[in-house]
Amino acid sequence: MAIDGLIVLDNTGRPIIQSGFRLATAAYPLLHIDAFNTAVLKSQRAGDIEPVIYVAPFNVSDPPTACCHVECGDIRILAPVSGDVDPLFAFAFLQTFIDILREYFGTISAATLKDNFDVVYQLLEETLDSGGHPLTTSPNALRDIVLPPSLLSKLLNVAGANITSAINSGSGLGAAGGPFSSPIPWRKAGLKYNSNEIYFDMVEELKAIVNKHGTTLSSSVWGKIETNAKLSGTPDCLLTFTNPHVITDCAFHPCVRLQRVKRDSAMSFVPPDGHFTLAEYRFTPSASATSARFQAAGATSSVLAKENVPIPFLLKSTVELTESGGTFEFILTSRMPSQTLESIVAEMYIGEGAGGVKCVAARGDGGNMGRRGMPDSSSGSSTGSWAFDAKKMVVRWEIPAAPPSSVWSLRGSFSSSSVVRPAHALQVRFAVSSYTFSALKVDQLKVTGEVYKPYKGVRGRATGNIEWRW
Amino acid sequence: MAVSLNSISENAQRLGMRLQESFAEHTRELNSTASSIYLEPDDKGKNLRKQLDSSSDREKLDAMKRLVALISKGRNVSEYFAQVVKNVASQNLEIRKLVYIYLLRYAEHEPDLALLSINTFQKDLTDSNPLIRAMALRVLSGIKVPMIGSLVVLAIKKCAADMSPYVRKAAALAIPKCYDLDTAHLPALIEIISSLLRDRSPLSIGSVAVAFEAVCPTRLDMLHQQYRRLCRMLVDVDEWGQIDLLNLLLRYARTMLPRPSEEEIDVDVKVLLTSAEPLFQSRNPAVVLAVTRVFYYAGPPSYRSRFVQPMLRLLHTSKEVERVVVADALHVSRSSPNLLAPFYPQFLLRTDDLRQVKKDKIKLLVILANPETHQAILREFIDYADDPDDEVVSEAIRAIGKCAQLMPDCTQQCLTALITMIKSYRDAVVTSAVVVLKYLVQAQLSASSSSSFAAIATTPQQSPLTIISHLARRIDDIRHAQARASVLWLVGQYSASSEPSAGPAGIVEWAPDVLRKSAKGFSSEPPMVKLQILTLAAKLLVLCPTDQRLSLIGGYVFSLARYDLNYDVRDRARMLTSLLSGLGLPDSFTAKNPEQEDRGGVVLRREQVQLVLFQGKVGAVNIEEDQDTNAVLGTLGLITQKPMHGDYTFPDWLERGVESSLRDTAEDAPAPPALNFSSSAPPPQRAKGMPPSSAAPNRNSPIEGPKYMDLDKFYEDDEADEEEEEDSAESEEEESEDDGSEEDEDSESEVHR
Repeated sequence: MAIDGLIVLDNTGRPIIQSGFRLATAAYPLLHIDAFNTAVLKSQRAGDIEPVIYVAPFNVSDPPTACCHVECGDIRILAPVSGDVDPLFAFAFLQTFIDILREYFGTISAATLKDNFDVVYQLLEETLDSGGHPLTTSPNALRDIVLPPSLLSKLLNVAGANITSAINSGSGLGAAGGPFSSPIPWRKAGLKYNSNEIYFDMVEELKAIVNKHGTTLSSSVWGKIETNAKLSGTPDCLLTFTNPHVITDCAFHPCVRLQRVKRDSAMSFVPPDGHFTLAEYRFTPSASATSARFQAAGATSSVLAKENVPIPFLLKSTVELTESGGTFEFILTSRMPSQTLESIVAEMYIGEGAGGVKCVAARGDGGNMGRRGMPDSSSGSSTGSWAFDAKKMVVRWEIPAAPPSSVWSLRGSFSSSSVVRPAHALQVRFAVSSYTFSALKVDQLKVTGEVYKPYKGVRGRATGNIEWRW
Repeated sequence: MAVSLNSISENAQRLGMRLQESFAEHTRELNSTASSIYLEPDDKGKNLRKQLDSSSDREKLDAMKRLVALISKGRNVSEYFAQVVKNVASQNLEIRKLVYIYLLRYAEHEPDLALLSINTFQKDLTDSNPLIRAMALRVLSGIKVPMIGSLVVLAIKKCAADMSPYVRKAAALAIPKCYDLDTAHLPALIEIISSLLRDRSPLSIGSVAVAFEAVCPTRLDMLHQQYRRLCRMLVDVDEWGQIDLLNLLLRYARTMLPRPSEEEIDVDVKVLLTSAEPLFQSRNPAVVLAVTRVFYYAGPPSYRSRFVQPMLRLLHTSKEVERVVVADALHVSRSSPNLLAPFYPQFLLRTDDLRQVKKDKIKLLVILANPETHQAILREFIDYADDPDDEVVSEAIRAIGKCAQLMPDCTQQCLTALITMIKSYRDAVVTSAVVVLKYLVQAQLSASSSSSFAAIATTPQQSPLTIISHLARRIDDIRHAQARASVLWLVGQYSASSEPSAGPAGIVEWAPDVLRKSAKGFSSEPPMVKLQILTLAAKLLVLCPTDQRLSLIGGYVFSLARYDLNYDVRDRARMLTSLLSGLGLPDSFTAKNPEQEDRGGVVLRREQVQLVLFQGKVGAVNIEEDQDTNAVLGTLGLITQKPMHGDYTFPDWLERGVESSLRDTAEDAPAPPALNFSSSAPPPQRAKGMPPSSAAPNRNSPIEGPKYMDLDKFYEDDEADEEEEEDSAESEEEESEDDGSEEDEDSESEVHR
């Protein structure tokens, strides 16, 4: 399995960075850039572009190819593939490359990549063999080969010091340093920290679809354990949970010993240095555990199937469509027992040709009128705000914080030049800090192989992405 | 960061001096060190030559960055080749890396000058730093100069025996490039591959699989002795290597092993399945799909359930991955629909799904519908008919039609839903609904005598004829051309009636009115509809040639059509009038068509005309689509639905499989626990090259200091407590047989130093 190369485009569709291509014709990358830009032009709805674009060959004798692409910030990364390569391979590599860029530059944008294009080229060279096969993709190992840009390296550069070559040849570091000297591919050798800390962030996302009667059609909670390790030496960690039975379908970072997980659901690993995702999992709610944690929310909760996680809010909608427009009213009620729902964003696509959106966002069932673009933050937070994104044709309703059992409403109307065809659903995203749906609890973290006892931090965060149909 | 800090302290003194000297003069430049200045359009590369020739590393680095910037802008900068090649031996690694990037792109065009750099690379191959060795080999093999082919083979051979697995990996990746350069090197390369196949390091083995597939894909016989060991190694290989290795092993299994059945699974197939299974827990979607392929193509049907959950997990990874996985799930469901049926809620549409994902999900849901779930799924389809995207709408409505066909007990519901949809003000909805209804009615009527489908649906309100009459009454509301044409055709086709009615004899009551309504706007109809109006008129006239009003309308329509702009319409009108000439129509018809004189030839009787008009053509529209079932799971062709020129089909299983003793190795002698072999337990031979003292350190009393010296030991330690006894028993036996593989032993133990 191999990809043909990599092309980074800016948001106007022009290439910023191109890797070498294993197929020799110079027209090859251009064909793909062209195919992608055509697809963008043709797409009906902003962002709805077929991720695997078929690219007809330039010569009849050439094999047909396809272009896999991913958006990231204001750039697009294209990976042309030919032959019967699994497109997932291309997407997996693109994701890995994006993660590496993020690790190196923090945020990814056309500007940062242009500022550091020589580093990007070096990264490309190290992560992707000229035959299109991934080489070194572990951030820890890469940092030994390609020095991340920092003020320090700029300073040294200006000073004319040849620090990079000193690192790369390993001469300045003694036996422990140098690239590929670490016996564990994902961990750097010879790390030293004054305070040894490791942080676990459990981030869970509730994805659900609710029909117009308020019945949950499908819901699932996907969690990630995002870890930030700052530990010296080669610590061997053993992470145990008090209730490991609530998670299933796990995926692990390569550092986790799968055998051990299978045996007693404990994660035993030597962590990479810095940020990484230790594990991903799915929450399997059992009926008793969830109902105890949620307040009985009236009649609707009894309808919920056993397997479903209750949706932490209630949405009532009245929408009337006519031939040339429509009016809508949404009332959102928080059902969280004690936590605040934060940064609620509800979006509705109102279809091509629509416009003339007028809304009133309010708290409670009326009164307290809030208007669009209110600069006053206090009134913004007490009523919520709305906006219309004319590019995506989306009405966006934002509520910064909704305390338990608060009621919020959005009334409005829109008109349309052609036949109205809005999406018959509201997409609601929210976040709850210091909370997890699964209530997965870390029992303890044992570190062996090193003498110190690290500081351990565990935090939970829940987000949701609910599709509520009307 | 820690490393850079470390090295700074080491270099601090040397640095301090230089910093003081050069800080003052260079601080100005600090503001402009962002590399983006190199991308400025006015950079014409005037001084590049001078800079490249200068003695200062900083000037050279600057020049190289500018060159790379020009490359990235798509400029051809091959004119600087001579100056760049001179810097290939630069002491500064950063300059050298940029020179390599340049060389790889332009060496092909300047083969003579490129030869100048070869010496440097050969020297680098003996460098003490594995990074430099690997890099030298990568560039050497990447320079497409056929002249140096044999040199490259030698270099690869040297690196294949390198003590660093990283360099061995580079050697493996260089093999296909060398082969592309000159196929004459094949024998030498195969030899290198077979030695690399014996490599014990999980780091390089994935790349060896790549080389194998590229150079000698048919030499699967080379794998006999390695097969079981490679299977067990899987879990330790890096994620990219896992994908290539899984594909290679799967191909081996399909070519060399007997077909597994529920009762009997070959030991070697079982080894592959059990050692691949833990990889379902990989974070890399491509690995998960590669394992899925192994289970799908090499496992007995009962094993297929194991890849369902991992596959569903991938759906939540990203939009792009979802797009691919839904298509794969669709492919899997076509052969085993029951697999995913319980999980249909995972495939319900969300409004922000990509268009193709929505369409694939609908197709998938149709397959997943079974007697327990079809009610819920049908309700979903009805909801999807409101989607903003017309393509999705028609897919959803087609799906309703399929439901009606496949599940007789929900036919009623489907018809009700479709008839409601006709009232929609959206063209796309109406058209699709009418087309699907037409198909259903036709299917129902043509099979009305035998099919159970028709028997169930013929309740008074929903009998096919009532549906047609319903459609006929709504003809004014149906605006879309194709839909109108379909309705007109239906009305004409099924307008015969023996029951007495208020209208003309022999015709159902509502049919003439449809003709009247459509004749009124004849001139403004699109050609497709005009053709159907003509056909309708002809059919009605045949059924009731005596009615005065009918023939008046018919005459009107035909005379309009005679002078239509569209030749198809004129043609059809002429054909039909000649056909009808034998009916003896009243004057009201013939008066409008004065040229109705005898043209000679055969004149058909009324019964014959009726036969021609009503049974001449039974145009049943098939709402089924043709499916390509030959596509292979996890390939590009499956996603693009176009042939991608990949010869990617698996051979059918062997009847008996090749002799299993071919795979017996000396290492397997002490009866490996192959059957209950569990995930990442290290194969016994991996204890090799370990000092006996640390062979089984006790977990409970951790050793101080750097405990792990290499990956093998690192894993070994983990399992040590469980397999202590086993290991000690086996390591003895291995010690004796190790002498045979001196070479491996050497390279392995050198890593530990």
